Amino acid sequence: MAIKFAGEFEAKKKPEEIYDFLTDPNKFASLLPDFQGLTVQDATHFTVRVNVGISYIKGTADVKMELTEAQRPQRAQYKGQGSMAGGNVTVVAGFDLAPIASGTKVAWQGEAQVFGRLTSVAGGLLEPLGKKQIQKLIDGLQAALT
Amino acid sequence: MVEEKKNGGRWVGASLPRKEENRLLRGRGKFADDIKLHEMLYLRFVRSPYAHARIVSVDTAAAEALPGVACTITGKEIAAQTHPFIEIGPDHAQKIRDYPMAVEKARYQGEPVAAVLAESPSLADDAAELVVVEYDPLDPVVDAEEALKDRSILHEEAGTNKVWNGVWEYGDVETAFKEAAYVVNIDRMHFHRFSSTPLENNVVIGQWNAKDDNIYYWCNNSFPSFALQFLAAHLGIPIDRIRAQTFDIGGSFGIKITSYPQMAVCALASKKAGGRPVKWVETRSEHMVSSAHGNERTFRDTRVALDKEGVITAIDSRHIDDCGAYPRYEPLGCVIWSQVFCGVYRFKNARIDFWQAVTNKCPVGPNRGYSRMQHLWFLERVVDICAHQIDIAPDEMRLRNYIRPEEFPYTTPNGCVYDSGNYPKMLDVAKGLIGWDEWKKRQADARKEGRLIGLGIGTTLDSGTNNFGQSQIVNPYAPFSGNSQGANCKLDIYGEVVVAVGSCPQGQGHETTAAQVVADVLNVHPDMITVRTGFDTERNVHTGFSGTYASQFAVSGLSAVHGAAQKLKAEMTRLAAFVLETKEDDLEFGVGQQGAEVKASSTGKSINYWGLANIVNVNSAVLPTEMHDVTLNCRYIWRAPFKVPDKEKKYGSLTLTYASQLHMAVVEIERDTFVPKILDYVAVDDCGTVINPPIVEGQVYGATAHGIGAALMETCAYDAVGNMLTSTFSDYTPITSVNIPKIKYGHISTPSPHSYSGAKGMGEGGAAPIHTISSALQDALFAQGIFIDDSFNNADSIFRALKKHDGGDLAKLVKVEKR
Repeated sequence: MAIKFAGEFEAKKKPEEIYDFLTDPNKFASLLPDFQGLTVQDATHFTVRVNVGISYIKGTADVKMELTEAQRPQRAQYKGQGSMAGGNVTVVAGFDLAPIASGTKVAWQGEAQVFGRLTSVAGGLLEPLGKKQIQKLIDGLQAALT
Repeated sequence: MVEEKKNGGRWVGASLPRKEENRLLRGRGKFADDIKLHEMLYLRFVRSPYAHARIVSVDTAAAEALPGVACTITGKEIAAQTHPFIEIGPDHAQKIRDYPMAVEKARYQGEPVAAVLAESPSLADDAAELVVVEYDPLDPVVDAEEALKDRSILHEEAGTNKVWNGVWEYGDVETAFKEAAYVVNIDRMHFHRFSSTPLENNVVIGQWNAKDDNIYYWCNNSFPSFALQFLAAHLGIPIDRIRAQTFDIGGSFGIKITSYPQMAVCALASKKAGGRPVKWVETRSEHMVSSAHGNERTFRDTRVALDKEGVITAIDSRHIDDCGAYPRYEPLGCVIWSQVFCGVYRFKNARIDFWQAVTNKCPVGPNRGYSRMQHLWFLERVVDICAHQIDIAPDEMRLRNYIRPEEFPYTTPNGCVYDSGNYPKMLDVAKGLIGWDEWKKRQADARKEGRLIGLGIGTTLDSGTNNFGQSQIVNPYAPFSGNSQGANCKLDIYGEVVVAVGSCPQGQGHETTAAQVVADVLNVHPDMITVRTGFDTERNVHTGFSGTYASQFAVSGLSAVHGAAQKLKAEMTRLAAFVLETKEDDLEFGVGQQGAEVKASSTGKSINYWGLANIVNVNSAVLPTEMHDVTLNCRYIWRAPFKVPDKEKKYGSLTLTYASQLHMAVVEIERDTFVPKILDYVAVDDCGTVINPPIVEGQVYGATAHGIGAALMETCAYDAVGNMLTSTFSDYTPITSVNIPKIKYGHISTPSPHSYSGAKGMGEGGAAPIHTISSALQDALFAQGIFIDDSFNNADSIFRALKKHDGGDLAKLVKVEKR
């Protein structure tokens, strides 16, 4: 089951500052919804622990993240893979940064693929819930960059 | 004592209540999960969430560290000590390495990757969640036509996703098309994937006993003879060292035939756990994602030739079957459909190009109506689409094309022999029961009001008692042919008549019908017969074909029982003649003051069964030497009179009996919600001589309910990456009593010349409701320009079909050439 997402917002900071924020796991990861903890392996790999829950299915998920594209200050892309009770998820999320007069335009896009029993048990709920969580991340990002 | 309703002096044909009813309805049945053994461990599988993924690592350390966990076992461990399962398919299919758990790759969502053994089921559940599996996802392929392009290959060792391909061609197809008055072209039709939802899921207790190095199974597999042949070769153990027992079984519908991989895991897990017995009880969601589904099939580029009267003269089509990730009972489905090659119709010219592919979905199993229902649905769609296209009423279209009653026994283009039948009479009975003419008037009135009401007909076959020689059509080296069934009939030491059969009944009433047959032979009451059903290797009444599947017990099972009872009667006759000092033809079998007895007509002297059994078993010194071969313990093996089919021509008798069903439905589609609602339903059955009418009627209702569920409610839906979206009852929505309409039941009888009693195998129903509801929906929607091209139709799909038509997409589905 694929959940696609995309959007853009404007921030007052310069592209370099935003890029540095996005590629710093200690800053970026804590914005993930229901963030619980972070383990940084190296400059491009880290693991975040997040709370996940849909209805009565609740638990934690360890999501292994990799910074797969790093073109300072234009683009950053993450790939992630995690598992939780009832399913696995893979995520690709990219950020394209363009300078504008007031600061930076941040265009974000990506896709989450959900695998496993979860898609059947909670299939109808996954897409709206996923989009809600992504919106939370973007709201947090906007707040941090303003 | 049951109520006596003897059928003209015979018990066969009498409406006896089922002997097993008392036990089963009072909760006194004994099922595999009722077995509790000393030191038993509980097994829980860890399953792949991915439809297609390489297994990078399996870390079981945390699970093994949990108190109460005995051990874990992985696919790699299993592969290291076993052979891959036997592959039935030829050539490259022989290279497929199928193990009971994924080794290098997972090939469908829900495939077992590891298993945990613990002291309790809940501990096993907890421990399974601690197993960490790292996957590298691969591109899944979930469509059989796409799979045949080999862009993403499931079994690299085979080098292709194709499992099998063969062409069935008979008559002169091209000439028939040249001479046709009409040619109807149908681009694509699709028979959907669904399964069965037995009350009791799969259960296996396996023990690899450390003391005698034998394997013991207590399980509910419904074709244990087949499973044991696979297991012995897989485990590398002589088949005589495997004992399997089955008990009461809460439904199978064919899909419990393929539980042998889980049986293998339980034995190997037991071995690793030092010989402790291991129990696996399948959960409902496990059952939905990984037990077995029915075959999905796509029908491509169909051409139908018809004469000016609407008589079909030729069919040319390409069929692509989806067998899921592993061809476990396959590619037998690639030939089994041809048991009903021409359905109930007379056409002689046909070419079917048949393909089968693996996909990243749950492996299929022989689900009720296995392989034949897909083909029969196809033929019924062809008949209805052609009827509508050339403006012939669907009932008249069928009458013009049916095999005629006087043509039986009828040899089909591929050499199958239909034993008996009367399809026009069934149509007549069904029309009378449903009130066809009245419904046609009501339909016309309703249409004026803008209501969408359709009348549908489904005529179908239930072929029973397979010739396993058809396996040689898919693989010339397959070592199977014919069919046989065993039974034992004895007088035990105290004179009780005890019958043992190698079948595994799941509600079909074998205890009752076997007792009826023996009661007729011995002229006693059926309640005086004890029938031991359930498979047990150590009863030694099984053959390599023993089990309960493919509509055959009434023919193969009861023929074996009848043969064993006759052997016993012959021995009792010899012995009684000696004891009563009279001739054998002076003896009468019956019931006297001292129970069941044999009496000399001339003298009135008699001996009861206890007396006969006593002489043979514990008083044998009175027997003269020439009577020493009398054991009163008679084993009989019935063999079906089959020959090996011609493998090149794909020609020969593939099945012994052909029961038929004709269903009719009136369906209305709600204009606002598109919900299809059954307004009236009729099921007419012909299974030849009926052994027990209530049992037949009950099976007709069951098969009808299953078919209605499949037609309107039940589908194994997958998304594009191989997630099964209907893995719970909330999503799969199996039919319940609330959804079943009132069914009007009718029966005709054309006794089979191929069985001793005239009975034909029945119970699968030929999926008649699926054909019938498709037919009714098309009748309701044809005026809107809709053809029903899928076997699954619910409000959503009907809404989409109407939308598709608005977009003009349906114009290319069906084209008619008028010559």
